[in-house]
Amino acid sequence: MKRSLKLTDISKDVDTQLIEIDIDKLIPLPPPYDKVEELPGFKQLTEDQRERLVCNLDGVVSTALPKPKNKEEEKKYIEQFVSGLKKLLSRENNWTFLQPLLLSIDYCAQCQTCCDACPIYLASGKNDLYRPTYRSEIFRRLVNKYVKPGGKLRAKLNKGDIELNWTTITRLYELSYRCNLCRRCAQSCPMGVDNGLITRELRKLFSQELGWAPKELHEKGTVLQLEVGSATGLRPHVAKDNFEFLDEDFTEVTGIEVSTPWDKEGADILLIHSAGDIISFPENPIAFSILCNAAQVSWTLSSEIPGYDGINYGVFYDDVQLAKVAIRHAQIAKKLKVKKIVIGECGHQHKAFMTVADRVLTGDLNIPRESVMTFLENIVFSGKIKFDPSKNDFPVTLHDPCNIVRNLGIVEPQRRILRYLCPQFREMTPHGVDNYCCGGGGGLSVMSDVNFTDWKVNVSGRIKFKQVLEAFADQPGPEVKKYLCAPCLNCKLQFRDLFAYYGAREKSSIIFGGLAELIVNAMVILKKPFITWGEY
Amino acid sequence: MSGIVWHIFTFGVIGIFLIVATYRTLAIIRLPVHLRWELAPIPHEKGKGRYGGSYLEEYEWWKKPQPRSCIAPLIYMVKEIFLLRGIWKHNRALWPLTFAFHMGIYLTIGMLFFSVISAILIIAEVPLPVFNVFLVIASVLAVAGYLLGSLGAISLILKRALDSNLRPFNTITKYFNLLFLGAVFISGSYAWFHSGDFASEMSLFIKRLITLDAGVTLTFPLSLHIIISLLFILYLPWTDMIHFIAKYFTYHEIRWNDRPQDEKMQKELRGLLAQPVSWSATHVKADGKKSWVDVTTEEMSDEKES
Repeated sequence: MKRSLKLTDISKDVDTQLIEIDIDKLIPLPPPYDKVEELPGFKQLTEDQRERLVCNLDGVVSTALPKPKNKEEEKKYIEQFVSGLKKLLSRENNWTFLQPLLLSIDYCAQCQTCCDACPIYLASGKNDLYRPTYRSEIFRRLVNKYVKPGGKLRAKLNKGDIELNWTTITRLYELSYRCNLCRRCAQSCPMGVDNGLITRELRKLFSQELGWAPKELHEKGTVLQLEVGSATGLRPHVAKDNFEFLDEDFTEVTGIEVSTPWDKEGADILLIHSAGDIISFPENPIAFSILCNAAQVSWTLSSEIPGYDGINYGVFYDDVQLAKVAIRHAQIAKKLKVKKIVIGECGHQHKAFMTVADRVLTGDLNIPRESVMTFLENIVFSGKIKFDPSKNDFPVTLHDPCNIVRNLGIVEPQRRILRYLCPQFREMTPHGVDNYCCGGGGGLSVMSDVNFTDWKVNVSGRIKFKQVLEAFADQPGPEVKKYLCAPCLNCKLQFRDLFAYYGAREKSSIIFGGLAELIVNAMVILKKPFITWGEY
Repeated sequence: MSGIVWHIFTFGVIGIFLIVATYRTLAIIRLPVHLRWELAPIPHEKGKGRYGGSYLEEYEWWKKPQPRSCIAPLIYMVKEIFLLRGIWKHNRALWPLTFAFHMGIYLTIGMLFFSVISAILIIAEVPLPVFNVFLVIASVLAVAGYLLGSLGAISLILKRALDSNLRPFNTITKYFNLLFLGAVFISGSYAWFHSGDFASEMSLFIKRLITLDAGVTLTFPLSLHIIISLLFILYLPWTDMIHFIAKYFTYHEIRWNDRPQDEKMQKELRGLLAQPVSWSATHVKADGKKSWVDVTTEEMSDEKES
């Protein structure tokens, strides 16, 4: 029988889990990944974790919110929540998203069309808790009840009055991190209502009013980035040292001189990578150094805080942090007197810097910003570098990062490169602006508290993993090496977790990497392959 | 109801509808410019909208013209409004029901349009054979609209009540709205089948309204239909059923709004950024007096000073 979760359940049964995730009900994966018993499954929460943390949603903990000390503390947070709802609807405090938010609150027809567009809802076997509309409708009813005139009376008269208590707000908080903000739901809504936006506004309320945000996004994310330069903890001199070492190392490996310029005032281009790439996937930033030098581009990196880390987690949860990081990046570019900023292979960096923060960067901070996709396309087709596509003669498929494709409409440049340089390039189904998220979107890929990674690999990343396998269905076995091109750091972090959990490298010989690596791998001048399958 | 009461009631309802609908539209227009939140595909992207591409696909896009198609968004909206393209694409099971419902509304509006034309022709004393064709069209639109609308409303009520996907989200208001509009269609069907010549009666009624002729006499079924319809029009602008207005903004001002800054927008943005912030979380460092510019650049200023 189908589970049926009521909206009013959100506030009931204090400290009890709202739902259980049944692994057998998740959508099946193709062989050899269909044997559930061979997979590690979900880590159960320990008694200690249950004692200390709020775990009242789905048996998964992503935010590690401590339990309140007493009733007074509960009451304080509930009052702050109501005050946050009011601020979300005020011009002064939320001019940034007031119009989209109000329209999404007021005009949902409750047709549930968006649900079947959501990869999390679908992967979960259509679990009611993960409907894009579940959290949005609760939020909507709370706004209508507590912020609009006569709301409490109307809530009583209408069906489904939501009680606001500690359980409601803590479940909503945790539930706001069960969404990838991929906006596939918004794309399918005939009214133009955006549940992704509502989820982000909810996260924003918790962050900007209650001071609640996952530590990976806030404390060890934007705060650390603004303080020391990078959310990875890399300080400027360490970042430069790392690069110097990588330059030397890859000079030896590739046989061509690799060098990376830093803080070159007056360069044409400031390239901003994600520092996570320097640490986790160094082939990617090095591939850029090789390409820029080979194409004789006038470029530089910046070692000023936080100019060497382009991430901006504010786009996932907090407008103030979003603006702080974006302004800082623009100020660095202004100081270096560059003509433009090129945004590295990072999806949310694209969205944050190119569009969302565009209306924060006024006056001389509005320096032209370009996507790495068009930048690379220009290099590849400039004729300055000779390529041999036969060097990439292995199956390649492309993952479309939601923030670059669905949110910015940058669809074709990367495909033109792949069609030219990869003879066995094939698309996933669906792809382009209809793509599925990797499952790590919305900041989830960097969140790994308690047992959250289990949820990401089993639920949110499930449809994408299935898509990847289907794209290589003609050569599924480990005897053929296959490359998943994922031009986004956060997507790669999610694929790293997914592939490790399912053993995709061993069972199917699929590796993942960026776009620049494929381009460098096809360069005639390189004597040895740049993509070294064994090292992934 | 005596003649003059019909005039007061009808024009009063139309007036209130226009005032409230205009007020709500202006309320949306007057909301401040928001941060960009576009969503592909954007049909006005000439040559790119088809696959979801945008001007950001161009190398150094700021140096190039951004050609915009006027026709593509128009075609998109016509398909969305009249064929319910989104529901067809993403929720095929719901489409026949909601299509019947919306088509009922459009055909009824069409019937009103032709009835008004006929009324004007009657006032202009144009010979009957000339405007008879309008009466025939109005009559056909009326019966088709009422029947489709009734079918759509009843089936949507049943769908809401029986479908386990929709049921948890239902409110009394949602049912009431469907019932109310259903009553408009059902009473219209009753009036049409009861009347020997529905379109002529309707046109005559409109003619008397326009000419302020107090001699309005209507059959009971038509009176009932007109009263229910006017009450619905009175109720409509206060509800979320005016999504036909809101939808313009969700598409044009949010999904498809990919405008880079211009001078006018910069001026508005400077004003918005100067507003005070009062979010309570400690990291915001707001006190209700500091502006957006202050809270987002303060740490950088601190560093410069130190």
